[in-house]
Amino acid sequence: MLPSPSLVRFAVRVYPNSWRRRYGVELHSLVMEHRPGWRDWLDLLVGAIDARLHPEVAPRPALAAILPAYRASEARPSAPVQAYGIVNEPPIREISRRTFMRRMLGAGVALLSLEFVGGVLAFMWPQIRGGLGGTFAIGTVADIVARQPSFAAGWPYAYAPARLFLINVPAAEELALGHEISIPNPAANQLLALWRKCPHLGCQVPELCDALKRFTCRCHGSTYNILGEKLGYGPADRGMDRFAITIGPDGVVTVDTSKITAGALKRGPDSLVFTDPNPWMAECR
Amino acid sequence: MTTDEGTGDLGRFAEPALLVMVSLASGTKHGYSIMADIASFSGTRIGPGTLYAVLARLEARGLIEPLDEVERRRPYRLTPQGAAALDAQLRVIGRLVQAARVRRPHVAG
Repeated sequence: MLPSPSLVRFAVRVYPNSWRRRYGVELHSLVMEHRPGWRDWLDLLVGAIDARLHPEVAPRPALAAILPAYRASEARPSAPVQAYGIVNEPPIREISRRTFMRRMLGAGVALLSLEFVGGVLAFMWPQIRGGLGGTFAIGTVADIVARQPSFAAGWPYAYAPARLFLINVPAAEELALGHEISIPNPAANQLLALWRKCPHLGCQVPELCDALKRFTCRCHGSTYNILGEKLGYGPADRGMDRFAITIGPDGVVTVDTSKITAGALKRGPDSLVFTDPNPWMAECR
Repeated sequence: MTTDEGTGDLGRFAEPALLVMVSLASGTKHGYSIMADIASFSGTRIGPGTLYAVLARLEARGLIEPLDEVERRRPYRLTPQGAAALDAQLRVIGRLVQAARVRRPHVAG
């Protein structure tokens, strides 16, 4: 794609006058011929800054006077503009040092604001890789039972990276009712992933209380049965939240911690799916 | 690299200046053909801003001289001083290459 002549003209105009008078025309046709990429535009800008920082390099009248084009311009004072005007374009508008500095300052401020906005956006962008909010492959049920044999008997499996309890629902219900049972291969829909964040004020829900087989938050005493459903005692207004669980074809249990189902609202002991035998007992001893 | 008449004191423009002078050694060229020539013999791309910064410096030192403009493109050629400076510099580089070959004999070419 050919560069737009006005863009090239603008780029050449960033150079100082004396320099442009001498090289403007040929630089313009070079850039037009060259089909510049962004590196070349940057190179032009750097070249223009260099030309302004090193005015001694620019051809002085004494040196330039040997050139026919410059000689013509000596003869007619308006010629320098026309010399560049031969390109069949409107005359060059001069850029003063002040304008140049002002534009550079403006560009600097614009760049700085861009960085600031970019930084803020990057900060606000959700970081869902790893950590809470990502997906976790916990392992197959057999792996989990191997790591913690009591999982088959209904004891919650605490998985720290995702801050959750994995519950073997049918075994857990029996455990809470005081029955000894072993269900080593629960199906996908028989597993629960309870987020260990108390829905009241966010404290971490501690391990299951041995005696009553329920969870009791240490902060304000909200109590949940072994399936994370809210019991009568404590200030939380709902049961523990749950993460979505999938079991892959290879049997690996995967928890997506970005998909959260809010725990059921507190509606009293009767409405619980699973009824704890001692719903109103506060202490866990 | 060594002498003040050469391109050694051009700082970051020393290398492109050498490339430009080598390019002009094969005859007069205008800006675009210098860039194309350098790209073909060295594989180095020189941007238009760098090229003209170099041309202005070489011209200010009298190592190259501009000819009359042809169709808005101005050809340049080496001056006798420029040719001498280039030769001096090539001799230095030649000695450098020789010394390096002895020390790194496995490098072909």
